Amino acid sequence: MMRPSSISLRRPARQILFSSVSTIRAAAPVPTTATHRSLSTSTSTGSGCPCANGSRRPQVKQTQELQQQQQQRQQRQHRNAYHSYDHPSSSAAFTPVEESILSAAYQHVPSHGFTPSALAAGARDAGYLDISPTILPEGAFALIRYHLVKQREELAPRVSELFGGEGHVGARPGLSEWEIRGRVEAVTWERLSANAQVIGRWQEALAIMAQPSYVPPSLKELALLSDEILFLAGDSSVDPSWYTKRASLSTIYAAAELFMTNDHSPEFMDTRAFLNRRLREVNEVGGVFRNLREWVGFTATAGVNVLRSKGVRI
Amino acid sequence: MVARPALRRAIPSSRTLLHAESRILRSSFSTTLQSQQKPNNNNNSVPEYAIPDPARPTHFGFETVTEAEKRERVAGVFTSVAESYDRMNDLMSFGWHRVWKDHFVASLNPGFSPLTSSSDPRAPQHILDIAGGTGDIAFRMLHTAHILNGNPDVRVTISDINPAMLSVGKQRSASLPASQQAALSFLEANAEDLTQTKPLGANQVGYSPTTGVPDESVDLYTVAFGIRNFSNIPAALREAYRVLKPGGVFACLEFSKADKHPLFNTIYKQWSFSAIPLIGQLVAGDRDSYQYLVESIERFPSQEDFRDMIVDAGFVVGGQGYEDLTGGVAAIHKGMKPRRK
Repeated sequence: MMRPSSISLRRPARQILFSSVSTIRAAAPVPTTATHRSLSTSTSTGSGCPCANGSRRPQVKQTQELQQQQQQRQQRQHRNAYHSYDHPSSSAAFTPVEESILSAAYQHVPSHGFTPSALAAGARDAGYLDISPTILPEGAFALIRYHLVKQREELAPRVSELFGGEGHVGARPGLSEWEIRGRVEAVTWERLSANAQVIGRWQEALAIMAQPSYVPPSLKELALLSDEILFLAGDSSVDPSWYTKRASLSTIYAAAELFMTNDHSPEFMDTRAFLNRRLREVNEVGGVFRNLREWVGFTATAGVNVLRSKGVRI
Repeated sequence: MVARPALRRAIPSSRTLLHAESRILRSSFSTTLQSQQKPNNNNNSVPEYAIPDPARPTHFGFETVTEAEKRERVAGVFTSVAESYDRMNDLMSFGWHRVWKDHFVASLNPGFSPLTSSSDPRAPQHILDIAGGTGDIAFRMLHTAHILNGNPDVRVTISDINPAMLSVGKQRSASLPASQQAALSFLEANAEDLTQTKPLGANQVGYSPTTGVPDESVDLYTVAFGIRNFSNIPAALREAYRVLKPGGVFACLEFSKADKHPLFNTIYKQWSFSAIPLIGQLVAGDRDSYQYLVESIERFPSQEDFRDMIVDAGFVVGGQGYEDLTGGVAAIHKGMKPRRK
């Protein structure tokens, strides 16, 4: 399924670099999907075990499970931000065992919060021991990350339902700037609504996310989310506004999320109004900047032309 | 290489060798002995390198020796350093080993149970502390479980191959509260074969070996700064897999590689190869033992390689499978025994 107008690469830097051929490249098929990349870079890390036996490298008969685990680990390392229509990136953020503990623990979040207690209760439900969740290197933060990843991945199907079908998601020809703004608001609200079930515990989650060691993964998740929202809304910008749009949406989303934790209005009406005000402000500020740039550009060109008319060789 | 089969034939009376042969026979023909077969491997055959063989070459520091010889020489090292072990640890790591150990135990949080509606939320736990002679880890485990988590149903078994180290731990345990002393037990055992164990001091009363640590009886298996001294690490990992319950955790604190920080690594190597043997000579009067210590650290596999060995033994790991401490001077590896399908 190749749409001529769809820009499959979401990272504009490349397209800016090759701006002269950008239109051709943007429409060309994208060979480097998540799957292809991970397979081509796979190395056999566990093929031998340099253990106590010194010179002899034992022939390890790799079980399939072991290979799968390693592949997943590599996939996680080589995950990239490209959006491919043909190869949706596989969910490899968690190994099957992590997934089973975390999904069971997630059910306990409304009552226990994002805590070791929820993890241990989840481990019991999944048939493991109280001690089992200690293999999760991030502890309770793993549960928060699970929430972030799962809700981001579930956004696409929910949004396509909202917009009336698979074909209505993502970049489409004939989407006006104005329509895209409305869609960004709708998708962002869809994602915020997904926090409703854990909203009573979200303040403590935000506190954990603000701990120094967890700030980088949290910010990364935020960046992935705003990227996802803009992609689903159909934004196809390939100029520097690619960055400013994502940065401003991230800020707005984080603020709205924080606002929501203290919102007691029915169905979070106040949060939605807050979100709308922030998005409008950005558009206004964006408009001012656009006008300013236009004015500076016009004045500069006019100035150059005046100088040229005076005989200055420019 | 040619000499090895000859060497092996030359010692046919070896118990371990017979053991290995009988296992091969068992897995191929016998059905009556199925119950004794180890459940630890997915493909139902223990790789040859994971079967202890006293004649197989391994390394002792930078020397190459046989597994049996390594066992003897490691025993010699630790018998000679047992008395000064804790003082030396403080001097060599500037007391930092305490921080590592505290973090190790805190990250495992033994005795922790969720607050559930059922009558008694506190589940009993059995912790097996391998190579835990002087009790450093075991005492911290008991403190965390009994006092911080309020769970008195946590038992700790300290196991060590070396009776000298165990008796140091026994002496130190006398200063613990009585309830914690009651939850402690001492075991003299070889971590590569936990089916043959005896309680500490069994030699004096003419004690016959017990049945050992049963299958699937341990919640948490810890080994801190011990596994690099083992003659056959894959065998010890498989033995850990055997004794752990499904869902049980294997946790290892061990010196590792600080290669990711070249400058720091240079200073660290300089310190360990020149200062540590000297301190050993001055304080403990035993240069050779501490020379072995730094060499054995150098020979121990990197974080990734050791992680792959843990996965190879059947464990599953979370995330990248290890956590670096102090830039990788030490590392914590954890693995979980998966549930039976």
